[in-house]
Amino acid sequence: MSKLPLSLRIAANAGCSLVLAFLVLPILSVVPISLNKSSFIAMPPKAYSGVWYGRFFADPEWHSSLVHSLEIAAITTVLALIIGTLAAIGLRRVNGRLRVGLTALFLAPMIVPVIVTAVAFYRSALDIGLNGTIIGMSLGHTILALPFVVINVGISLRTIDPNWISAAEGLGAGPFVIFRTVVLPHIVPGLTGAAVFSFVTSFDEVVIAVFMAGYGNKTLPVKIWESIRLEFTPVIAVAATMMIAIAIVLFALSHSITPKADEAPQ
Amino acid sequence: MTQKGLSLQLSGVSKRYGGFTALEPTDVEVHAGEFLTLLGPSGSGKTTLLNLIAGYVEPTSGAIRIGERDVTHISARHRNIGMVFQNYALFPHMTVRQNIGYGLDVRRLPKSETARRISEVLALMQLDGFADRRIQQLSGGQQQRVALARALVIEPDLLLMDEPLSALDKQLRRQVQLELRRLHLKHGRTTVYVTHDQEEALVLSDRIAVMEHGRLQQIGPAGELYDSPSNAFVAGFIGESNLIPVRVRAVAGTLAAIEADALQLGFEASAGPGVKAGHPASLLIRPEHVLIDDCQEPAKGVPAEIVEAVYLGELTQFTVRLRSGHMITARQIAGRNLKVGSAVRISWKPERARVVEENTTTQKEEHDHA
Repeated sequence: MSKLPLSLRIAANAGCSLVLAFLVLPILSVVPISLNKSSFIAMPPKAYSGVWYGRFFADPEWHSSLVHSLEIAAITTVLALIIGTLAAIGLRRVNGRLRVGLTALFLAPMIVPVIVTAVAFYRSALDIGLNGTIIGMSLGHTILALPFVVINVGISLRTIDPNWISAAEGLGAGPFVIFRTVVLPHIVPGLTGAAVFSFVTSFDEVVIAVFMAGYGNKTLPVKIWESIRLEFTPVIAVAATMMIAIAIVLFALSHSITPKADEAPQ
Repeated sequence: MTQKGLSLQLSGVSKRYGGFTALEPTDVEVHAGEFLTLLGPSGSGKTTLLNLIAGYVEPTSGAIRIGERDVTHISARHRNIGMVFQNYALFPHMTVRQNIGYGLDVRRLPKSETARRISEVLALMQLDGFADRRIQQLSGGQQQRVALARALVIEPDLLLMDEPLSALDKQLRRQVQLELRRLHLKHGRTTVYVTHDQEEALVLSDRIAVMEHGRLQQIGPAGELYDSPSNAFVAGFIGESNLIPVRVRAVAGTLAAIEADALQLGFEASAGPGVKAGHPASLLIRPEHVLIDDCQEPAKGVPAEIVEAVYLGELTQFTVRLRSGHMITARQIAGRNLKVGSAVRISWKPERARVVEENTTTQKEEHDHA
């Protein structure tokens, strides 16, 4: 690689930088926009101020939508981790066509268009009165988050030698003790990654949320989507900035946890 | 750790996976304190048999008893067995002490008792000072000892080992074999040991069970298997052997009248079990029992030509070719000056030749190779 002529290397680096800029700059542009003093979305802003952040937290609708989003994302993460981990463990215990079929089933939410999942879930939720509830939205998001858990935990489980399980069993350990003492320490990295993906999947999800949200419990993305059609003010950029910040913090956290957990199984 | 472990009894135990028979119905009895080795090539059913004893696999038929207890349908968790795996299966996220203490913690033994037993077994396995090491900081031989310590510390009724030395280099393997033997003689605990290495089996075992194609071929002390193998497979697997195809004309008691085209003569030899008149059989002569005569007196022995001479220290190993083209291996005390290419006559004492059943499992061999 380093043997490339200098001119080519410069060109390659420049190309990469351009692609990165194209990907990242539009997203980052919401940060200065959110600091605009005037009530217009403009780039670059003529004068800076934190006035719209104040507005965001003063407005109960904005503020409560953030809380709802965090609540739903937290519930989703817990549900997806429990169901997905059990599914991943189960998938390791079956073989052949059953495993292929079940894996496809668990990964389907990643492939099926979200709008299809949303309509189907909406229709089913109506029958049991889950529409407009926090738990209803969490369950819908759990469907979308499950594949990330099944994949991440599944990869971690592959680092576990089946003989460790047999050895623990022969030494007298029951299934729960084996899970806690042998399996869990090896899937912590997978669980951490899965938790972040689940949380973020739910936190920025808008399609299912639009279908399921009631008047009193809109999520932040739903509130942004609604607001953008009514009032085109920098408060939307504030909300977007909050979402970016939370996502960045979560990924940074998982990164700082994972290497430590990685050392143990090696 | 003075308890000797319990006896083990398998009656009619078999295992089938769909249409594949991993183990034919098998009867084995192991006495308390005995060291039994299951010896056989890969795919012979020896590991299946071990897993059945351990409780990792449920038998298709038959019953398993450990001591007085019928454990046929009891899981490994409740069998009180100590298992040493081929790859040791040590928990890599735990220290040596945590690995060894695992079975004791699970049993919720008092802290003081756990500590006492761990330090006892650490001393026994010469692992003092390694208690707080991580598994990956240990050499292969040390890991092997930790695996054995982890299995022994729970004072199991049975100690089971699945090719525990196959990951060690040859020199270390020798040393550990002798250590295992010494350990067994000192603290003798009922042991079932799986290996494909006949030398290992000879060093370690009180008795050896030779297995092939999911079937127990013969079980007995090493000397018995060597001197009176029940068929050609056992003869070929334990020690070195010359097997010459023969036809059996008649069997009377322990004597068989045979004709050997390869030797161009007929004579009598002792008959192994299952040898029947008219059936194909093999004549077994161990290399050390082949006598080589270089004088050219006719009618004394079978004419042959020396094609190879290998110096083995106190012994010289000769390969001779019979007129029929068959090769015979002979071992002689070193010092005989027999040149390659010279014509000789070979013979043996009649009581040293034994007629054994041919292998009856050739069609299965093809299946294994597929």
